[in-house]
Amino acid sequence: MKESNPASIQSLLADLPKERASLLPALWRVFEADGVLTREALAAVGEALDVPAAEVYGVASFYALFHVEAQERAPVRVCTDVVCSLFGAQELLNALRGRREKPVYAATCLGRCDAPPAALVGRQALAPASLEGVDAVLKGVQP
Amino acid sequence: MRRLLPADDTVSPPLSRERWRDRGYHEAWERALTLGPQTVIEWVTAAGLTGRGGAAFPTGQKWASVAQSADPVKYVVMNADESELGTFKDRALLTRDPWGALAGLAIAAFAVGAHEAYVYLRGEYADVERLLEEALALAPWAEAGSYPLAVRLIRGAGAYIAGEETALLNSIEGRRPEPRVKPPFPTARGLWGHPTVIQNVETLANVAVLLAHDVAWFRAVGTEAAPGTKLMAVSGHVARPGVYEIPMGLPLWTLLTAPEYAGGIGGSGRLRAVLLGGAAGTFLTADECRAARLDNLALQPFGASLGSGAVMVFDDTVEIRQVVRQVAGFFAEESCGQCVPCRIGTRRLLEQLSASTLDIERLRDLGGAMRDASICGLGQTAPQALLSYLDRPSLWPRTSKEEECHA
Ligand SMILES: Cc1cc2nc3c(=O)[nH]c(=O)nc-3n(C[C@H](O)[C@H](O)[C@H](O)COP(=O)(O)O)c2cc1C
Ligand code: SF4
Ligand code: FES
Repeated sequence: MKESNPASIQSLLADLPKERASLLPALWRVFEADGVLTREALAAVGEALDVPAAEVYGVASFYALFHVEAQERAPVRVCTDVVCSLFGAQELLNALRGRREKPVYAATCLGRCDAPPAALVGRQALAPASLEGVDAVLKGVQP
Repeated sequence: MRRLLPADDTVSPPLSRERWRDRGYHEAWERALTLGPQTVIEWVTAAGLTGRGGAAFPTGQKWASVAQSADPVKYVVMNADESELGTFKDRALLTRDPWGALAGLAIAAFAVGAHEAYVYLRGEYADVERLLEEALALAPWAEAGSYPLAVRLIRGAGAYIAGEETALLNSIEGRRPEPRVKPPFPTARGLWGHPTVIQNVETLANVAVLLAHDVAWFRAVGTEAAPGTKLMAVSGHVARPGVYEIPMGLPLWTLLTAPEYAGGIGGSGRLRAVLLGGAAGTFLTADECRAARLDNLALQPFGASLGSGAVMVFDDTVEIRQVVRQVAGFFAEESCGQCVPCRIGTRRLLEQLSASTLDIERLRDLGGAMRDASICGLGQTAPQALLSYLDRPSLWPRTSKEEECHA
């Protein structure tokens, strides 16, 4: 995966109004293109929308779905909250962690407690989630 | 009892124009335009509709206050952030009948005089997002009427606190989703300082079915104080987890056991407790579950409320103290950290609940301080489930009951 550079970010965001209200949509665009929000990318977003870089970082780092460190096309999150933990969430998380080099995140309730345990691979939800199910989605994702 | 959720034999596809008509939304929108803003607000008020997102505030009252503002710029926002623990009813509703809430949003905009509307959707709901994008492209309300309305979809990015109405406004504005101090309320100063109506998905869907019928029809179901239906998200140890629409006031036991609802206790088959209303909810013992009715007035004696409509069911193999600790972990994780009682309090609660014996006196003091001194609902209600647990010794671990009492 190649990361965006300031010039590509400018063009990625070209059609968004140059204002603060474009920040969240802009962060999503860059994150979906890169799988990470690097310091450089955040600075370029700030530049493009005329928002101070520190504030861009402050907003981006607040949200659980954005990663400002590890780069990954489809981060894996397993819900280990109250309901899913009654239905094998911790075991699924451990099993995934045992097999993957990339991090596997524990998430709070994903809003799919009717089919536990729930997981997200990138933006795709799995409920109920299984090792095989997660593998299948990851296989379909471009490295 | 189906009003918001279409009947099982509905054949029109969720996003079709036939569905828009079949469900009466075409008629509802035309009726709103004919009645005029003032009368629409009177209907919503007379129907006794209250917010379905947790706080149960009278909807008509909010609309009236925004409508009467002299500010020419107004906004309406649909809160589809749905991140409360155990809550998935808005996802079910938007998936099974996407037009309802959107028709309600258009009616709300018309009633208060807003020409811009926002739908704020939780970032984890990519499946719902695809439906909503398609729906907004079709925009059947733009054909029938002459009322100009632009609707924008905003995708959240994983923050429970962003569902709090003022944090949500900050998120849309491109700021950190931290709650603002209230007052001023969003109805006075909302998006970019302009009067703003924020409603939950289910509240707006109720507006649409109300306008598709009339006030008497709306009030024919439910109770005097709480007319209408409520979507309940039932999860955990039941035979059929899922979203069920109930008349307000239905016995909780019926929801848990009737074949048309959750169909009986699952797991070991023996009920230990229910956590009603989400992470900021109340634990009810098995006996209380047999006695409680599902409307806020009837739940008062139990110190409970419907909250977001979450019903988490635990069989007798579940250690409730463990659940209490997880709930405390949820709040410690999701506190925005802006104010001290909540930032420190949520951590302290978690620490104390991780200890082997509980200092009940200290926990109650801490909970009281958080309830009184936190800025927003998160900190104010974070101790709620814990306090309800402390009030119900029958839920404490059998072995440590003595110990906890004297700790
Ligand atoms: C921490 C916190 C999270 C909230 N999350 C949501 C949410 O996800 N969806 C929602 O509709 N309301 C949520 N609310 C309630 C909103 O602040 C607001 O009361 C509601 O959107 C108003 O709509 P209603 O009157 O139609 O319920 C939350 C409140 C708090 C304190
Ligand atoms: S009560 Fe908690 S979540 Fe609410 S503003 Fe204060 S720190 Fe943030
Ligand atoms: S508790 Fe896991 S999805 Fe709700």
